[in-house]
Amino acid sequence: MANKHRNLFLKVEAFHIKFGSILRPIDNHVDMKVLRPLTKFILLAFILSVLSCREGSAGKTPARPVQVPSSPAKSRIKFAQGFTIDYFDRYKEVKILNHSAGSADTLDYLLLPAGVAIPAGHAHAQVIRIPVQSMIVLGSPHIAQADFAGVADRITGVGDGQYIVCPVVREGLRTGRVRQVGLESGLNNELVISMRPGVLMTMTNPDAAFGGYRTLMDAGIPVLPNADWLETTPLGKAEWVKLMGALTDREDLVNRKFDSVEQAYQRLAAIGKASAIRPSVIIGMPFKGTWYMPAGDSYVAQLLRDAGANYHWSDTKGTGSLALNFETVAPVALTADFWLDVGDVDSKKEILSRDTRYEAFRAFRSGAVYSYNRRVNAAGASDYWESGAVNPQSVLADLIRILHPDALPADTLIYYKQIK
Amino acid sequence: MTATPFSKVRLTGLLLLLLLAFLLDLSTGTVHISLKEILRVFFSPATADPIGQFIIKGIRLPKACTAVLAGCGLSVGGLQMQTLFRNPLADPSILGVTAGASLGVAAVMLAGGSMATLYAIKELGVSGSWLIIAAACVGAGSTMLLVLLLSRRLRDNVMMLIVGIMIGSITLALISIWQYFSNPEQVKDYLLWNFGSLGGVTGGQLLILAVVVVIGLIVASLSAKMLDALLLGENYARSMGLSARKARAVIICSTSLLAGSITAFCGPIGFIGIAVPHIARFLFNTASHRILIPACCLIGTILLLLCDTFAQLPGTQTVLPINIITSLIGAPLVVILLLRQTTVHSW
Repeated sequence: MANKHRNLFLKVEAFHIKFGSILRPIDNHVDMKVLRPLTKFILLAFILSVLSCREGSAGKTPARPVQVPSSPAKSRIKFAQGFTIDYFDRYKEVKILNHSAGSADTLDYLLLPAGVAIPAGHAHAQVIRIPVQSMIVLGSPHIAQADFAGVADRITGVGDGQYIVCPVVREGLRTGRVRQVGLESGLNNELVISMRPGVLMTMTNPDAAFGGYRTLMDAGIPVLPNADWLETTPLGKAEWVKLMGALTDREDLVNRKFDSVEQAYQRLAAIGKASAIRPSVIIGMPFKGTWYMPAGDSYVAQLLRDAGANYHWSDTKGTGSLALNFETVAPVALTADFWLDVGDVDSKKEILSRDTRYEAFRAFRSGAVYSYNRRVNAAGASDYWESGAVNPQSVLADLIRILHPDALPADTLIYYKQIK
Repeated sequence: MTATPFSKVRLTGLLLLLLLAFLLDLSTGTVHISLKEILRVFFSPATADPIGQFIIKGIRLPKACTAVLAGCGLSVGGLQMQTLFRNPLADPSILGVTAGASLGVAAVMLAGGSMATLYAIKELGVSGSWLIIAAACVGAGSTMLLVLLLSRRLRDNVMMLIVGIMIGSITLALISIWQYFSNPEQVKDYLLWNFGSLGGVTGGQLLILAVVVVIGLIVASLSAKMLDALLLGENYARSMGLSARKARAVIICSTSLLAGSITAFCGPIGFIGIAVPHIARFLFNTASHRILIPACCLIGTILLLLCDTFAQLPGTQTVLPINIITSLIGAPLVVILLLRQTTVHSW
């Protein structure tokens, strides 16, 4: 038994040596002979878990299958509209959906354990070898998703380092373990190719022409648009963690954590929706006379509904923003009880320095101005855009605490702060 | 040529038209506010509805005032350029001055994109708007100087125009490089700025803009005689004791102040600068800048006020960028005027 595992272990190690750059330090240079019994036991458990993760490798072991723990948990998508995960005997299939262009443009990904050949009929699919050991992520939510799945240390590259809050990645940037590859248009293809990541996650809208990434895909690097921002509900946005779970064979952990996020969110939403008083809110700040207000089907509007707010544009169509003129917003803004998401401002004085007219807003005078910049890094980037994406229950709790001070037990806000 | 009774009547007529356009701009918008209510806002504020009061005094009035300033400044700037280069196609944006102003703003908005600079700008508060106006004026002024330096070697107007357009292209290419390397948020801010807007200028900013535009207009009216002389050719101007170099310097300063400040606060607004001088010459049938300058002010203001009114038609909740409307209205106007006369006169 131990021997068989040792063989497998060596096989795994050989695989790692072959793909040198993605070698993890834990399973390197271990001499089995000198191991003490307890350590041996732990290692055995580890190998078993490796076995259980590598469905394919396990399947390849001859004759009588070993009594390995049951295959990893499967993730079922309940809220997200942008992707699907299908589980097959020895592989997983992920589809990134393109709603505006119809199903014909769906992007197809095969998640194959090491050694498993590409199944027939998938000539156009991109292949991602799982569990993914190293990844380059271009968006802030991707970092939060990795952190959620406990694999933030597998991030080897980011788009722009100054926007990152996650301590693991920031430390990696400091030590040089994590490199900056540039954002979308300035993406350094040569650097990305030389880093040989297991996957490159982009913020690209899957609708957009994918041609810009052709070079990388030709170089054998799977490019995956992780477009959580297209989701229209906070839970749908957060559910993209399940994609991260599938990529790293951590469905079990991710499902468990997501279930508790979901339960917490639904519980809070029930409180928010049941509130008798519905304070009116306005969102954001105009720029050059145009006020971009979240449309009724956007996830911000959904958050506001769940928080029991009276949002004037809640019934409008569209998942993006409405470009309104100042005059349209003014009658609502002048009398609104709360003014939220004013951006990265720190004081009311700063708001006035942008435009003195804001002084006329009731919320401004009463001090009911809040923004999502409580947790910011040294460069001013807010964690709201990062971990907030996978913690909608915390964002909702903040909003309920702001809008209905008595609805929840008193506690400090997590993402929001009052602008004074 | 002095102001004839004919010109005086027309100028008075335009002034009345301007008042009407101003009132029209004040009284139309997404939110319906009756004329009676508007009068109440101005003459007995205590009894007026506070929302109506905010919309009129806080939104529509500053926007209309900005339209007046930009309308005057851009058309007079265009007139000066057309006379200086003796070219009917000249206007500040065509010769790269607006592109230069954009480059200045891009330098602040995009290259100033390093977080430290942004924080510094934020700390400056109101002086932030001074920074942008200064950057835009330096950009516009240096581009104009470059154009003029080259103009000393090139006598031919067409060649001069081509050189101006080339300089504009280079400037825009520089901005594109900055855009390419800036992050999407900043690029979006810059693109929105590039659409042009009369609505973002209020309070202190409006005051700054007014001061700069008035200075530019005063310099322009002082240069009316030089412009008249330049029309007859530089040699003639020199024989009248006018230093061509000095005249150029004065005209450049005036145009740079006008185009630079307006571009800094409103973004690039096209076509007013090229269309209005033609309309003025057509209406007044004169080459005298003592008449053309006030005429351009009035026509430019009326046109921009009307454009602003059309940009936010009642019944819609959005406002179209002013730049789109000026081109949509300005371009056909120029074509119609050209069709109605056989030559572009007064050169």
